[in-house]
Amino acid sequence: MSKYFSKEKVKYMFYTITHPMDGYYWIRHQERGSVPLAIIMVILFSVCFTANRLLAGFVVNDLDPRAVDSLYELMGVLAFYLLICVSNWSITCLMNGEGRLKDIAIAVGYGTVPISMVLVLATIVSQFVADDEQAFYGLLLGVGIAYGIIMILIGIMQVHNYTLGKTLLTLFLTFVAMLIIVFLLLLLGNLLGMVFNFFRSIYIEIIFRT
Amino acid sequence: MKKMIQLKKILSLSLAVFVLALLPGESVSATSLPYDTYNYDYREDIHFTPAAYVPAGTVSGKSLTYNGEPIGNFVTPQDLCKAPDGKVYIADTGNNRIVVLDSRMRNVENIITTFDNNGKEDEFAQPYGIYVSQRGWIYVADSQHNRVVVLEQDGTLVQIVENPVSESLEDGYVFVPLKVTVDYADRVYVIAQNMFEGIMVFESDGNFASFFGTIEVEISLWDKFWQRLATKEERANQMLYIPTEFTGIDIDPDGFVYASNIDATGVQGVRRLNPRGEDVIKKGENGNVGGDLWINGTTDYAGASQFTDVVYRDNGIYSCLDRKRGRIFTYDHEGNLLYIFGGLGTQQGTFSMPVAIEDIGGRLVVLDATRAEIIVFQETEYGRLINEAVSLRYDGDETAAVALWERVLELDENNELANSGIGKAYLTAGDYVSAMHYLKLGMNRDYYSVAYRRYRNSFLTQNASYFLTGIVVILIAVFVGKRIIKKKKGGAQDE
Repeated sequence: MSKYFSKEKVKYMFYTITHPMDGYYWIRHQERGSVPLAIIMVILFSVCFTANRLLAGFVVNDLDPRAVDSLYELMGVLAFYLLICVSNWSITCLMNGEGRLKDIAIAVGYGTVPISMVLVLATIVSQFVADDEQAFYGLLLGVGIAYGIIMILIGIMQVHNYTLGKTLLTLFLTFVAMLIIVFLLLLLGNLLGMVFNFFRSIYIEIIFRT
Repeated sequence: MKKMIQLKKILSLSLAVFVLALLPGESVSATSLPYDTYNYDYREDIHFTPAAYVPAGTVSGKSLTYNGEPIGNFVTPQDLCKAPDGKVYIADTGNNRIVVLDSRMRNVENIITTFDNNGKEDEFAQPYGIYVSQRGWIYVADSQHNRVVVLEQDGTLVQIVENPVSESLEDGYVFVPLKVTVDYADRVYVIAQNMFEGIMVFESDGNFASFFGTIEVEISLWDKFWQRLATKEERANQMLYIPTEFTGIDIDPDGFVYASNIDATGVQGVRRLNPRGEDVIKKGENGNVGGDLWINGTTDYAGASQFTDVVYRDNGIYSCLDRKRGRIFTYDHEGNLLYIFGGLGTQQGTFSMPVAIEDIGGRLVVLDATRAEIIVFQETEYGRLINEAVSLRYDGDETAAVALWERVLELDENNELANSGIGKAYLTAGDYVSAMHYLKLGMNRDYYSVAYRRYRNSFLTQNASYFLTGIVVILIAVFVGKRIIKKKKGGAQDE
């Protein structure tokens, strides 16, 4: 356990946030990252995201609180995280990426940390915002999200030892792969359902005949 | 011990049964009405409210007598109108007559079937619309005679408006007036059959002046794209993009014309036309003056509301009559929905085919063509409070409205208009915390923001000394802390 959550690992995560280029490089080559820590960060991100949607001040928040379901959002975020990691891994495997699934998971997971922090900060700031000042709130959120995305981008670049252009290309392909995976999952679900229905109708038939 | 518990159980059960039996079957007014009264809240969810108007009887032709003789049932009456002197005029279309009732709709004052047209006796053919001007002249849209007949109170003919002549009219155009209204300058506004260009305006001398309030057709970019792709035959088969016709018309004392139309998208079913014919209606928070917001579905009952008539009431309030679901939608001058009630059916207080609505002395009356009767609605306390509060707000007297809004909140806790009305009053009074509370409940972001900003400013100025002291203390602490750390480190190095 201490291997994953040692003080050193947590410290190194913050070092990565401030020095993404360097940080991600050593994560790949010296095992200084931690996948469980990254997953916890993703869960934290989901919590912060829901908190922002629920608790942001009245002036900036037009959401119906009844429409927010934290568990549902947590599941969505985790599924999305898994989807990104798997599809990026499957694409980079084919494109000479050096990163392992583990490194990708860390790159994406650590990248959510600045977004979570900014979500919390923005939620607090939003309590003190009046009309015409929503720009501050928006700017804060925008900067945080941009930083997070840049971090993920750098992370994937460093982990696979890519150039920027190739990273962008793989990210685009990752997106396509995500669509394909979703499509296949839907197809699989549908087919399994049909098979299940087939056996079920056989069973019902037998029950009724005897 | 066990027995005691059992005894207790039996006792409590019988007590509960007894209490339940004693409670009267609470007759909630909403359940005894044949319709629900509701409104849409900020989130466009349906929010049921106490009844704003309740049925207060019907008036049909068979219960009325004139000069001791029964006047017989109305036959597909199409319009009714309240004259400035309070009398009620009914266009009894199928019987080719105009029936005049007194203001309480108990007695028949007059029945106009014929009039003297330059020495000849003339009559009506399917009089479809009726209006009585401020001067007291009676305007009858005599549809099958293709004319609008203008009579004085005693029945003498003033003039006949017919045969509009204009370059913009096609050759062989047949003028079939359906609805008519008149402004303070005796200009006549006519809704004519199959006239898609807008409302026809006639000068007081009876000459056709212009079209008014043309509804422009909106073709979306997507439709245009498909039209481009379609072949000629396909295009011929497609729906024609023609503007909708107006269905009902009314005029306010300032000369603004309220005209209802049928909008398939359900966004705008009524227009408020200024004297230049431009639409100046305000659409409120939801950007919608088209009736129901929940219109999706595939059943016959789904679909946008179809406004068939509109009545301007006092102080910017107007009500629209929906023939699709038989509901009456009441809006204020800002386009906020005040209350919705009514329904189709055969019970008393519902409609079969509502065609016209009018406000007669604070009561809303609806004319039903199929049933050939007038259905009267009386305002409840809830309706009265809202009407009065909105009127006070229209006059700019928000503080006087607070007492009314508070009473509204007792009847309907979640009324957003009431909450934001109270909030605004608190804002003017300077109680920002209460203002924020109520404005938030009323989902009024703009005013909430104003209240919050003032609250924030006053909080900051009142506590400025604490803030400044706090900052100084923190600065000193940081300074001293740094010194101490430095010293310690320095000491460590020395050792």
